[in-house]
Amino acid sequence: MVVDTKVILSFLSKHAQGKCIGLVELQKAAGTFDCPLRDIETIALSHSILPARFQRNGLSCSDQLKLFRSKVAIIGCGGLGGRTAELLARTGVGHLILTDPDVFSESNLNRQIFCTTETLGCNKVDIVGRELQKINPVLQTDLHVSPLNTLSINGADIVIDALDSATARKKLSALCRKHSIPMIHGAVKKWCGQVGIEQSANGLIDTLYHQTTENTLPPHVLPVTASLVASLQATEACKLILETGSPLRDGWLQCDLLYSDYERIKTGIC
Amino acid sequence: MQVQVKLFAFFREGRFIKEDKELPTGTTAGQVVDDLNIDREEVGVLMLNSRHCKFETVLQEGDIYAIFPVIGGG
Repeated sequence: MVVDTKVILSFLSKHAQGKCIGLVELQKAAGTFDCPLRDIETIALSHSILPARFQRNGLSCSDQLKLFRSKVAIIGCGGLGGRTAELLARTGVGHLILTDPDVFSESNLNRQIFCTTETLGCNKVDIVGRELQKINPVLQTDLHVSPLNTLSINGADIVIDALDSATARKKLSALCRKHSIPMIHGAVKKWCGQVGIEQSANGLIDTLYHQTTENTLPPHVLPVTASLVASLQATEACKLILETGSPLRDGWLQCDLLYSDYERIKTGIC
Repeated sequence: MQVQVKLFAFFREGRFIKEDKELPTGTTAGQVVDDLNIDREEVGVLMLNSRHCKFETVLQEGDIYAIFPVIGGG
């Protein structure tokens, strides 16, 4: 059925409360006009009608529309990736690509938001994708139960590095450079973490992991550290989308939760 | 010569955050790492006066020398 946008807009305006509209009304419009929910959301946001689930963000409709139209690739759906995905879905990013080859195991329960006693043994990507739909039903997800590959970043505006190996990080960094996609790096160990943006060939990953050999044992990671670093990664992703600029574009933030010490380091000259 | 040494993240555990050290002339960045019983494999970034340096770099009077570990978990 082809319906004039004006008719849909009239429906949305009629069912909005003030400048906000509920998910039920948006879904009703999608059903009434046989129109994809994502298109209905776009019409609403384009005409300053804010979906109520984003009301408390305090962002303008045009900013919400930028978030909705953006595509973020999250590589790794563990401690960092799962939390980052949740935060971006709640903030209103419209399209996420999720990549991880692993299943949830008991040692993930301390820090991975979608790991519960009920999801042990399940593919991380499938569970994260399913739970995100409950948070934001308009979110589009591409799910890859596999290691990093070119599809993992296909068409992405931003890539989130939520990996746990230096080798994989270097591979991802090279892919992002090749496709000119900014990559938001995050890593954690014990009480400490770091966040930075690799873009315009600033060489962040080569700087941080230039001589690294892989650890045979997985590092210890506290849930508070993972949660903080994931929040910072999600923040930087939103800032890139909203073009606010960031001091992390030419360096990284070193976080030490034990000493409550946060220091911004500029990527220096070798 | 006096050099200020700054440690980051878990390198601080059982050591210090920042310390002024009296070092013999000609001391290298790597020698300070070794004297602190830090495994060189665990070192991510070395910075001297906010610029990257190497284990072989010779420290100078008044330098500020920062040692960062590799942080790799996700």
